[in-house]
Amino acid sequence: MRKLQAALVVVALAMVALSLSSCGDSGGEEGGTLTGSYASFPDYLDPALSYTAEGWTAMYNTYLPLLTYKHADGEEGAEVVPALAESLPEVSKDGKTYSLTLRKGLKYSDGTPVKASDFPASIERLFKLNSPGSPFYIEIVGAEEFAETKKGGIPGIKTDDQTGEIEIELTAPSGTFTNELAMLFAALLPADTPAKSLTNDPPPATGPYEIVSSDPGQAWSYARNPQWAKANGDAIPEVPEGHVDKIEISVVRNSATQVNEIERDKTDWMQTLVPADLYNQVKDKYEGTQFRVERPINLYYFFMNTTQAPFDDVKVRQAVNYAVDTEALERIYAGTLTASHQILPEGMPGHEPFDLYPHDMAKAKAMLEEADPSDRDITVWTDDESPNNEAGAYFNDVLNKMGFNATLKTLGADNYFQTIGNANTPDVDAGWTNWFQDYPHPNNFFQPLLAGESIAPSFNTNVAETDVPELNAKIDRLREAQLGPEQEEEYAALDREYMELAPWVPYGANTTSTFVSSAIDLDEVIFNPTMGQDLTSFQFE
Amino acid sequence: MAGRSPWYLAYRRLRRNRVALGFSGLFVAIVVFVGAAPLWANHVAGTGPNATHTTEKVEVDGESREVVNREGRPIGPLWLGAGGKFFLGADGRLGRDEMVRLMYGGRISLFVGFLSTLIAIVLATTLGLLAGYYRGWADTVISRSLDVIWAFPVTLLAIALGLALATGGLQVGPLDLSSNSLWIPILIIAFVYTPYMARPIRGEVLALREKEFVEAAVSQGAGPLRVMFGELLPNLGSTLIVFFTLGVAQNMLLESMLSFLGVGVQAPNTSWGTMIGEGFELISTAPLLTVIPGTMILLTVLAINIVGDGLRDALDPKSKVRIEARTGISESQGTAV
Repeated sequence: MRKLQAALVVVALAMVALSLSSCGDSGGEEGGTLTGSYASFPDYLDPALSYTAEGWTAMYNTYLPLLTYKHADGEEGAEVVPALAESLPEVSKDGKTYSLTLRKGLKYSDGTPVKASDFPASIERLFKLNSPGSPFYIEIVGAEEFAETKKGGIPGIKTDDQTGEIEIELTAPSGTFTNELAMLFAALLPADTPAKSLTNDPPPATGPYEIVSSDPGQAWSYARNPQWAKANGDAIPEVPEGHVDKIEISVVRNSATQVNEIERDKTDWMQTLVPADLYNQVKDKYEGTQFRVERPINLYYFFMNTTQAPFDDVKVRQAVNYAVDTEALERIYAGTLTASHQILPEGMPGHEPFDLYPHDMAKAKAMLEEADPSDRDITVWTDDESPNNEAGAYFNDVLNKMGFNATLKTLGADNYFQTIGNANTPDVDAGWTNWFQDYPHPNNFFQPLLAGESIAPSFNTNVAETDVPELNAKIDRLREAQLGPEQEEEYAALDREYMELAPWVPYGANTTSTFVSSAIDLDEVIFNPTMGQDLTSFQFE
Repeated sequence: MAGRSPWYLAYRRLRRNRVALGFSGLFVAIVVFVGAAPLWANHVAGTGPNATHTTEKVEVDGESREVVNREGRPIGPLWLGAGGKFFLGADGRLGRDEMVRLMYGGRISLFVGFLSTLIAIVLATTLGLLAGYYRGWADTVISRSLDVIWAFPVTLLAIALGLALATGGLQVGPLDLSSNSLWIPILIIAFVYTPYMARPIRGEVLALREKEFVEAAVSQGAGPLRVMFGELLPNLGSTLIVFFTLGVAQNMLLESMLSFLGVGVQAPNTSWGTMIGEGFELISTAPLLTVIPGTMILLTVLAINIVGDGLRDALDPKSKVRIEARTGISESQGTAV
């Protein structure tokens, strides 16, 4: 009997030890299927093309660049760490040459070896696709010519598949190129990846998860990358392997339904911000257990096309800035928005608060009458996701109250940015848009959004089509230097200079939220300030 | 004994159908309600349907209240507490007057319902007359073409067309409609319902063209157009009237559904369907924003359907038995005045 008792004790202890060891560091459960919902399908499931927070969150753990952002929250998450490269780049003294070495033994999820020459092929693919990310790499020697001819390769990138060495030569020093190497656009794909959108059939992955199905507009799913356990995982300790085995994401257009499904534990996570009318209710009930406010660095603003009447007149644009009431927008965003009336958002180096245009509708009307534009017919664009659609409707109403003849045009969020960023789309006079930082550098709020060189026939991010030569030159000059206090001061001055020209009506930074089911350990969920929720951090309790 | 025309007999039957008369009164009341939108907007509410009041305050019984509070919650119905302003409250975080929007939205819902039905009736009648009168290859071409449209589920076809046209609008030859033009939902609804009206009209024309009055007209030298539009069309009158009334109700429902899904009436225009769609986002905190336009659709469609039923009973002699059972009046009683 004693022997039996002893044996039972041993078995019980062994079972406890086994269960503890299987729980990992955080004590949660390993494996299982994470279910999530998006309010709209990402713009692309192709790392070369996606330029939305939704797309980056979806692909953060599938497609790895040479460098990546640390899998951590807050400021720590803004740190660039090696991903496919062995270490951070060595930069030459003149700041023009970046040298990296690919880690050994890496493979794509289909078993193809990852080669150093895949890097130039992936960058060339950006230019072949006219990707919105291609301007980030235009300063590589020969890239500009390749962008025009799409032939002959980019001579500024030299690689050696045997040693894995990659050398990138720039035309001018850059204070942001390390960040740009960590962008999803620079993720490595096999060299023979076709130059077309692969959203329907996403390319093989290098990260811990691979996308195994994609039904655009509806759903997509992930499974563990079989090569991660065999090869990549051990080689890339900076990227976690993830806790769940599968991830299934579906598109649920109504965000109230998304909330409801999480409350009933039918879905584990919603990528979308909790809708405004439920926000405070959800926050009061679930904050700390299933809900958390996240503060990514972003800017919400209305743009005005500075090349066409009536917004080619700076007085008209300034008048519109006076007319928009950021307090109204705070209410439209139901308390999730922190109002501001400048380009650099709070938290971004160089941010110094100011407001050149305190709300004054009477002054706005007077300025408009003085300017007396010949054309007052305006099409105002917005997407259909609440409360952005309401912000667009508000802007439309403000313009009408000022004396314009504004017409609202609402598009589905799935293709909104592609549409307003396409030169063939008629009547893109003004509208709603937003910008989430690509990397924690003030240049990222000027170069792609306001510099003349960023105006592109498709995927245009400079939707106001701002092109001021002296400010373009200033952006370029500041970009070449590493960020320091002096540069921050100059960026603050640049912010003011652009606001004097008033190409936009910035109205604030929005928070977002992480809302998970009761089955998920909220404390473990990482929200990277650049990439959003880190799918490798989701773990069942 | 004085002779009575079929129209007079139908009128007498309708007059005795008190349910239909009651609901026609309701329908007239709804039309008057939405027709009074500018009066209410200008003289009572003092605001238009799209004017936002997010940061404004309103005096309610001497107390100043925010139209939208800092958490983005809209003010509820004030009834007459603010002299008619925000009678049904604000519509959401934009602080637009719900009552004003309801009245203007009703105008658009009715306008789209009526006009799309009218277009569908005109198209269906023309196609039905051509197919039924000429038969042969004309009938084959028209009927098979309509079958192609019929092959698609009507709702799905309307949603697909709405989605396609909601972005780029419609450009066909000289026709250039922007994506938020009211004509887009009107044309979509008319297009998808035309086959459903054209088929029975064709069937009726096939039967009518064998009647003696058609032979008489032909023998007197009447050409095809004269026969179709001078002889056959008047005899389709009762059918078309019934189709029209029932079609309006059906089309209003389809418009509401398309607008609710965001592929029907586009902003800045509003209809009861778009109001339900907008209100649905606030259903947990402000359910009236969904319930009120929903109730208006329910009442309007119910009224039109019951009036349509009454008209059918009155105009269709085959419904005599039903009329007698319902009203207790026999045909002989009705004629022997």
